[in-house]
Amino acid sequence: MRIEYFQLIDRILDLNMDEKTISVEAQVPKESTIFEGHFPGYPIMPGVLLIEAMAQTAGWLLLALMNFERMPFLAAVKEAKMRGFVTPGEVLTVEANLVHEGSGYAITDAKIKVAGKLRCNSTIMLTHVPFPNPDLRRHMDAMAERIGFPKQALLP
Amino acid sequence: MSSTFDQVATIIAETCDIPRDTITPDSHAIDDLGIDSLDFLDIAFAIDKAFGIKLPLEKWTQEVNDGKATTEQYFVLKNLCARIDELVAAKGAGAT
Repeated sequence: MRIEYFQLIDRILDLNMDEKTISVEAQVPKESTIFEGHFPGYPIMPGVLLIEAMAQTAGWLLLALMNFERMPFLAAVKEAKMRGFVTPGEVLTVEANLVHEGSGYAITDAKIKVAGKLRCNSTIMLTHVPFPNPDLRRHMDAMAERIGFPKQALLP
Repeated sequence: MSSTFDQVATIIAETCDIPRDTITPDSHAIDDLGIDSLDFLDIAFAIDKAFGIKLPLEKWTQEVNDGKATTEQYFVLKNLCARIDELVAAKGAGAT
């Protein structure tokens, strides 16, 4: 996890195109300037970043389901629940599944677990559009490579 | 069984916290009810679920942007309901 670059996902653990689910891993850094302020002497991962991790996970699922032809963007976060603190160094398993595929948008459910225990969950809506420019597409391809996206799972 | 309009009006009222009695078949979702594009996605999701269809929002938006259709054709509620009925009928025809 590179918080300062908003790269919250380390690697993809599983992508199931039939079930429309994804599971990824993300380790919270042991040190970050964020923890100096959140909070002094009691560092915990900000809830908004946990929500972002769930949104990015849902985004990777949509990228896969749309064959990397469209780019998803966060549109709405519903019923986000922070069920327990996440602390520096912890390894997160982030899961997302597709709930509904609309026209130009999708609804997903996402959750974060630590050692099998649920820490937070939310329903996340994303809109998606054709890639606005080749630079962004190249960036996402590079990110996919970095996190071990299984390109073989995509349609030919 | 309630009409398509009754179902859609109830969805709009509950999703956007708009008094049900202010919603009429001639209401324009955007101009009269003040529903923005993000709130309309919530409505579309609820309609998709309730009727088992997929409102073609991208196609409609493109047609409006291209000047091939007006917003009234899709977002005045009686017209929206007519589109929903068409989609439900098409789905039924496809299943047989």
